[in-house]
Amino acid sequence: MTDITVPADLWDTEEEGVILTWIYSSGASVEQGKVLAELMVEKAQLEITAPASGTLTILAPPDTVVRKGTVIGRIE
Amino acid sequence: MAQPASSSGAQKADRTLTMARAGREAVISEMRRNPNIFVIGEDVAKLGGVFGTTVGMAEEFGAHRVIDTPISETGFIGIATGAAMAGMRPIIEIAFVDFIGVCFNQIFNFAAKTHYMSGGQFKVPLTMMIGYGGGYNDAAQHSQTLIATLAHVPGIRIVTPADAYDAKGLMHTCLRDDNLTLWMVHKAIWGLGWLGLPIKTALAVVPEEDYAIPFGQARIWREGKDVTLVGYGITVHHALVAAEKLAAEGVSAEVLDLRSIVPLDREAIMKSVAKTGRLVVADEDYMNCGVTAEVLAVVAERNPKALKAPAVRVANPDVPIPFSRPMENFVLPDADRIVAAARSTLKAS
Repeated sequence: MTDITVPADLWDTEEEGVILTWIYSSGASVEQGKVLAELMVEKAQLEITAPASGTLTILAPPDTVVRKGTVIGRIE
Repeated sequence: MAQPASSSGAQKADRTLTMARAGREAVISEMRRNPNIFVIGEDVAKLGGVFGTTVGMAEEFGAHRVIDTPISETGFIGIATGAAMAGMRPIIEIAFVDFIGVCFNQIFNFAAKTHYMSGGQFKVPLTMMIGYGGGYNDAAQHSQTLIATLAHVPGIRIVTPADAYDAKGLMHTCLRDDNLTLWMVHKAIWGLGWLGLPIKTALAVVPEEDYAIPFGQARIWREGKDVTLVGYGITVHHALVAAEKLAAEGVSAEVLDLRSIVPLDREAIMKSVAKTGRLVVADEDYMNCGVTAEVLAVVAERNPKALKAPAVRVANPDVPIPFSRPMENFVLPDADRIVAAARSTLKAS
């Protein structure tokens, strides 16, 4: 099992972000490196990519406020 | 109405995309296929587009195919028109339709007319991706629609996708066409993070493979029998909310998305009105001489007896779009104004 974590180097400040959209649903089979979700931080749109291949579970649905290091999902 | 999802590759999970991502996917796919396609405009290379429409393209295709320009719309539209005449297939981004006025000579007199004026010797396969629309406190010079202004001039095809599936399919169609084509998206449905969460009905399952949606085909989003609600872009989403509210009152509303303004699917309008007998047309553009008037004219010319009650237009009442949120809300169409308009057509009959 691999956690999908908001990377610490995704943006420069310590501002919070918000999940805008998930491209795949929970239960979908996803490939490592594919874009899974979009985040919005300080008006910038950022992408979260799959850290591994496997079955996706979404833990932070759209509109969830996140910080660097927040676990937003998991791949099994 | 459900759109067909990917039929190939049972292993592939469905992808739900924003319109921004879906449109970009079509551009990238066409650029990989056709080396004559290039992108030119303000902030398209280093920034990846004011709305992220060209993110990653400069890295993949290089500086000769993704070209940043100064703030000089007249100049780069002229460059693109000339390049198109010489066999290239340029793509231009105009983030805010409001500033298209500075390009009117190039668009109206050159890009749109060179094919005609040259007796067919030159084609101008030029595509412009354009953002329009208000509703987010950006005032009178960043909130307009102006589609009727552009639709008035012969030689320009205009599509207005309302969800991610149509955004991709119509972009492919524009990029494969040999004419000046405008792919126009309302900012509020594009999937731009700074405007908040994407509107759910604008997200759609988008196949990974290429597909093209023909010009001039309207789309029924919701079938109904009592009243036809016509819209395009954002007003489709207002109409869907309105149809839901009307259903709670026992009124069955049909939602018709024009999807292509030029050419216009006049048959689809007549077919729906023949069924419902009542018509509401919603448009965020100015009302005077607008798309709403064109839709009413279709019915007036072809079969005015199809209407059981006077048609109603819901549009901007010919005033500059205010900065103030309460005033802007008052001016722009929304679901409640469409509901009120639909009710008035039902009372009148």
